[in-house]
Amino acid sequence: MDIPASQSNSARVSFERERGVYGVTIMRDVAHLVISTGDEVGRTDRILQVFRILAEINVPVFLIKMHRNRITMAMAGTDLERAGQAIEATGMQITTRRDLALVGIRAASMRDLHGVIIKIADALFEAGAQILEIGDSHDSVQCLLEASKIADAVASLRRTFHLEGRAIVESSVESEDEV
Amino acid sequence: MKILVQKFGGTSVDRHEHRVLAARKVIQAREAGFMPVVVVSAIGRAGAPYATDTLVKVLKDIDPQVPPAPREMDMMMACGEIISTVVFAHTLQTFGYNAIALSGGQAGIITDPEFGNARIREIRPHYIHKLLEQGYIPVVCGFQGITEPTDEYEHGAITTLGRGGSDTTASALGAALNAAGVEIFTDVDGVKTADPDLVPAARTLDICTYQEVAEIAHQGAKVVHPRAAEIAMDHNIPLWVKSTFSDAPGTRITGYGAPEAAARRVTGITHTGKLVYIRLEIDNAAHKPLVEREVYRMMARAGVSIFLLTFSQTALSFTVPRSQYPVARDLLDGMVVPVELDEQEADGKLAAYYIFKFSDGLDLAYSVQRPLLAPVEKRVRVVDVPASVVENCTIVSVIASRYRKVPGVMARIFQALTDARITVYQTADTEMSVSCLISESEIHRAVRILHAEFFEQRDAIEGGSLAE
Repeated sequence: MDIPASQSNSARVSFERERGVYGVTIMRDVAHLVISTGDEVGRTDRILQVFRILAEINVPVFLIKMHRNRITMAMAGTDLERAGQAIEATGMQITTRRDLALVGIRAASMRDLHGVIIKIADALFEAGAQILEIGDSHDSVQCLLEASKIADAVASLRRTFHLEGRAIVESSVESEDEV
Repeated sequence: MKILVQKFGGTSVDRHEHRVLAARKVIQAREAGFMPVVVVSAIGRAGAPYATDTLVKVLKDIDPQVPPAPREMDMMMACGEIISTVVFAHTLQTFGYNAIALSGGQAGIITDPEFGNARIREIRPHYIHKLLEQGYIPVVCGFQGITEPTDEYEHGAITTLGRGGSDTTASALGAALNAAGVEIFTDVDGVKTADPDLVPAARTLDICTYQEVAEIAHQGAKVVHPRAAEIAMDHNIPLWVKSTFSDAPGTRITGYGAPEAAARRVTGITHTGKLVYIRLEIDNAAHKPLVEREVYRMMARAGVSIFLLTFSQTALSFTVPRSQYPVARDLLDGMVVPVELDEQEADGKLAAYYIFKFSDGLDLAYSVQRPLLAPVEKRVRVVDVPASVVENCTIVSVIASRYRKVPGVMARIFQALTDARITVYQTADTEMSVSCLISESEIHRAVRILHAEFFEQRDAIEGGSLAE
């Protein structure tokens, strides 16, 4: 005995999140730190040394990526100087950028969405925004971009994924608020 | 009286003795003054006579060459929960309670028409309310709903909700009925800090946030499905994970508002995935964005999921599920990407052809394609894109609440793994977790080592807390 729709219109409750991309987050004043670790013996020890130093000076890092001869990571722009000085003091070479922002494209079950990466890459390419680093998880793809390109990048992502203005949320590395 | 939704998974209803234990949980709730609404999964797991997999096999065995239509497949799969619901309702009746079995459609669960992976559009709970008012215990089929009954095209077809469907049913009913809580009964006594089969010292968490449990589930632990956690979170419905087979209090899942859940802490070590790690060397920074977009495009066309993406100026690396690796390799090996000169110099002239070449012994298409490009090589550069591959990888994750605001997590993970000589090929992180790509052969050791690091060390504060 299924419920006739006509009897139930007054008490409808909506539930599950939309399929596909539902929002974009923008985190401003993000810095990128690139540390040369070399690809020879001792690379692992140097990576470990980097993590230890950053822990000792209380700098949280994210978007950590291992490369053959370097390690890269993002952090709050306000932490960059401290982190850079501490790592340079060990003799490791670094390069830094602080004029960046992290754009997060959010979706329910991101990894089930075939083709979302190419859509993001195309949207950012059209906006002239080069992806400096990328990270992905089950619910988001995060792209590190030049801060000056954010407006065009977000506009292009909105067009690509048909997002309304309220789907764009600003967040902060410092903030305790949940995105 | 307050409504309490109680969901019982397959192992809680797979035989009479277990169903009696489950029924007692319902009766206890009733005697405690709640109006229980029960959600059940199909009876047993793969191999059991009425398990979903068994029913699917009946259909698939008719002709293995002809896949069943999704609509009929959903009708078949829904039978498992219908049988289970009827059996469970009758079990309650034998204890003298007025129980009534309801299909998803009868419970008012309306979904979109995506057979096999439907999403709940809305719930029309009038009939359940009416039954509760009359003193019945509704026993609802998990994992299923119906499409809009009045729609000319959808006309109330049975749908199934895909992975985690019964948890999703329970959570959504809890929200629709404004329930006092949703209890997910299973065969473990709550959310564990690690897989107890791998880590005997794994503990049961007293409390956990919606975000944490969703992350734990996404990263491989089979506790509450993330869809169910998200619905509970969006509607602020208290969720519990409990054992059917014990009186242990279980794990309370709540928002960050609860003081006990507000701390930054590590809540678990999980592992998931059978993956292959692919690294492509694209030896031209200017052309790399164009070449890598063709990689994404090709993978998307073939329906291959790629993740753990990493860039450098001249390399691109990512993982693919091992089951999809042969497709990915066959598509990429020998693939040719022409790159045009910049517009100013251009006039449609090509700057280079990039051709993908897989590791030794796997470059069959490359071996055929490469000589074909020889005639054009006098005019246009032909550049190899060598692919190196690490097969048999997997991911171990540390679930760390508010990870991005806490220093030192990666230092502890990397130290613990490298001390144990476990190579970390790549890492990924979210607001809630840090994941490391490692060799699959090391996964048991890695889980145990990280659990010891965060939960068993003398300096690991209660609950795997992190220093702020």
